[in-house]
Amino acid sequence: MANLNIDSVKDRTFDAIVIGSGMSGGWAAKEFTDKGLKTLVLERGRDVKHIKDYPTTNLYPWEFPHHGVLPDDVQKANPIVNRCYAFGEDAAHFFVKDAEHPYVQEKPFDWIRGYQTGGKSLLWARQTQRWSDFDFEGPARDGFAVDWPIRYKDIAPWYSYVEKFAGISGNRDGIPELPDGEFLPAFPLNAVETYFSNHVKKTYKNRHVISARCAHLSKPNQIHLDQGRAQCQERTLCQRGCPFGGYFSANSSTIPWALKSGHCTLRPHSVVESIIYDEKKGKAAGVRVIDANTKEAIEYYADVIFVNAAALNSNLILLNSTSNRFPNGLGNDSGTLGKYVAFHNYSAHINAEYDGAKEWTTDGRNPAGGGYIPRFRNVYKQETDFLRGYACGFSAYRWQQNSSEGIGQTLKDNLVKKDLSGWHVGSHMMGETIPKETNYVTLDKSLKDPWGIPQLRISVDYDDNDEKMKKDYVEQMTEMFTSAGFTNIQASTDHRAPGLDIHEMGGVRMGNDPKTSMLDKWHRLHACKNVYVTDGASMTSTSCQNPSLTYMAFTARAVDHAVSEMKKGNV
Amino acid sequence: MDNKINRRIAIRNMALILGSAAILPSCLNDKGKPTVQLKHLKLNADQETLVTELTETILPKTATPGAKDLGLHLFVFKMIDDCYDKEHQDDFIAGLDDFESAVKKQHGQPFSKCSVKDRTAFVSGIEQHSNDKNYKDNAKLTAFYRMVKEQTVFGYTTSKYFMTKQIVYELVPGRYNAYYPVKKLAAV
Repeated sequence: MANLNIDSVKDRTFDAIVIGSGMSGGWAAKEFTDKGLKTLVLERGRDVKHIKDYPTTNLYPWEFPHHGVLPDDVQKANPIVNRCYAFGEDAAHFFVKDAEHPYVQEKPFDWIRGYQTGGKSLLWARQTQRWSDFDFEGPARDGFAVDWPIRYKDIAPWYSYVEKFAGISGNRDGIPELPDGEFLPAFPLNAVETYFSNHVKKTYKNRHVISARCAHLSKPNQIHLDQGRAQCQERTLCQRGCPFGGYFSANSSTIPWALKSGHCTLRPHSVVESIIYDEKKGKAAGVRVIDANTKEAIEYYADVIFVNAAALNSNLILLNSTSNRFPNGLGNDSGTLGKYVAFHNYSAHINAEYDGAKEWTTDGRNPAGGGYIPRFRNVYKQETDFLRGYACGFSAYRWQQNSSEGIGQTLKDNLVKKDLSGWHVGSHMMGETIPKETNYVTLDKSLKDPWGIPQLRISVDYDDNDEKMKKDYVEQMTEMFTSAGFTNIQASTDHRAPGLDIHEMGGVRMGNDPKTSMLDKWHRLHACKNVYVTDGASMTSTSCQNPSLTYMAFTARAVDHAVSEMKKGNV
Repeated sequence: MDNKINRRIAIRNMALILGSAAILPSCLNDKGKPTVQLKHLKLNADQETLVTELTETILPKTATPGAKDLGLHLFVFKMIDDCYDKEHQDDFIAGLDDFESAVKKQHGQPFSKCSVKDRTAFVSGIEQHSNDKNYKDNAKLTAFYRMVKEQTVFGYTTSKYFMTKQIVYELVPGRYNAYYPVKKLAAV
């Protein structure tokens, strides 16, 4: 505590504290500082500065010691994160290593984390779709979870607001269940993706294959140039960090924007232990941080606190924030904190071949990855024996066929062959899972992490609904592929643990009724009105859209509310 | 001494070309000692020579560079040392010994002493067996061969030489043409 003299209470007092610097925390930082509030952003990991700290971003394949392959000891030491598709020699430095940040798996759960400035926004797959009222009204209609306290009209302007700044490419497709946004030009579908799109349109009612909407600057506007970002170069090396700022990350966009304002203090290596509750004032006073390097405890104070630590860590912080008033975690009068965790079901795939369109191929790389099939099951009415539905990725591709047959000159010749393969098509499911009380996280009673904070116990699993949905995906896609004339159709399902989708959500859900939910319609704790949670933890249900865009919109809207409450003297 | 330093520099440069800077030669003058420092694999000089010559037999110098020119033998050592587990490394060593025994049985001398023609003929035979799913004899020899070949080919197709002279790898395409005529591709 030697630095207490120079680190006085005054120096540790801010207007707002944001816990986390990733997808949603970055937005909170930007919005608060845009409005002139003195803001402290706490990041538990190290600082990663845009461009400067992307050590692999311009490396050629032969410049990696193992040409991209991770050494066996690294893979063996990290069985969990090693299952993530992006954990390779080029991006391993942006992922949390298993042993360094332990947690307890009551049931298998692959918790994929990125602890650094920008968090997982450096690593995401960048797919961005809006929700519609079919999603926000879903729980009320189907009777699962609780009713969302908001509707599409509440969030639509905020989707527009964040889309314009982040830069989202897509087409205006006019699909009610997947509302259009403020789009930059879409990355086009290729010959076979277009063929399938047309076929589906002709053959099915309310089924669509569209260009995937993604957070890439296909054609930057002035606001993107003002951020210091440039047009996406279609490198598709995004997980290394993009020196062009071609895709949206907190590192290239919101965090540097906030820092430029002069109102933002970014403190890396700051593991938040808990939120401090002031019993007399009846609100939160600040946060207690453990310095990741020195293990020293430091307190910071603010009028308003935004919890954006990523879904499960936001749960952990609230669960660990106990007081006389809140013995079971901050704001937890309902007893729902840590419960109703859900995720996305990615455990089915289908592949096939197509014998047509031989005169076409593609050139360059598509950062959007191809096509997207919005949810078409149980949208307008309940039509299956499972609740909710799934979206699907869809893409078609050809490759240069070579072979490693033979030795000597024969082998050399085989390796440079330029024959193109026929078209291959593939799809994977992205299913909604149902938030259930039995899917929960809690704190371990004895195990602590290296900073003395209780380890998170995760107990999350699939259910019968997921199995039925998975079966339906395989049946429907097989039928659609068959009717499109695709051949050699191979569907496969796997038994991956939840978590590998990297879309864990819930535990601090929104709702109208404080007895059955944690957050009100402004994302603030029903029972502690100067604490807001706007990341994945706040999700009442999960729909099947990729969630990041919704977190961004939620955050911008919640900051606007928090600041207006502060101005009114209500905070 | 000068030779030793030059050799060191030469190998280091090769390693750098490959991006395999971590492989540095150990003492070269002690007979029977290996020239590459490996963390897990225990190779003597003869075994190392065999693998080096095997990579050159798989991808020999022709009008274009061969495995040794490109330092692929160093890459193979590095990959098997760093990226394979103990079980496969044990199979590698056992298969290597089986390989050498089979060569001696057939040609009466070690692989490295055989003529290029004999080496090529011998490896061609294994290559055929290694593609035959029903072939069960010499399982470890075949497994060893596949490991060396796989990494030789991987190192080759991801080498700077191959990716700049044979197929041109572009770090920055700066384009996505969704409809690209195959005819145009053939014209490149």
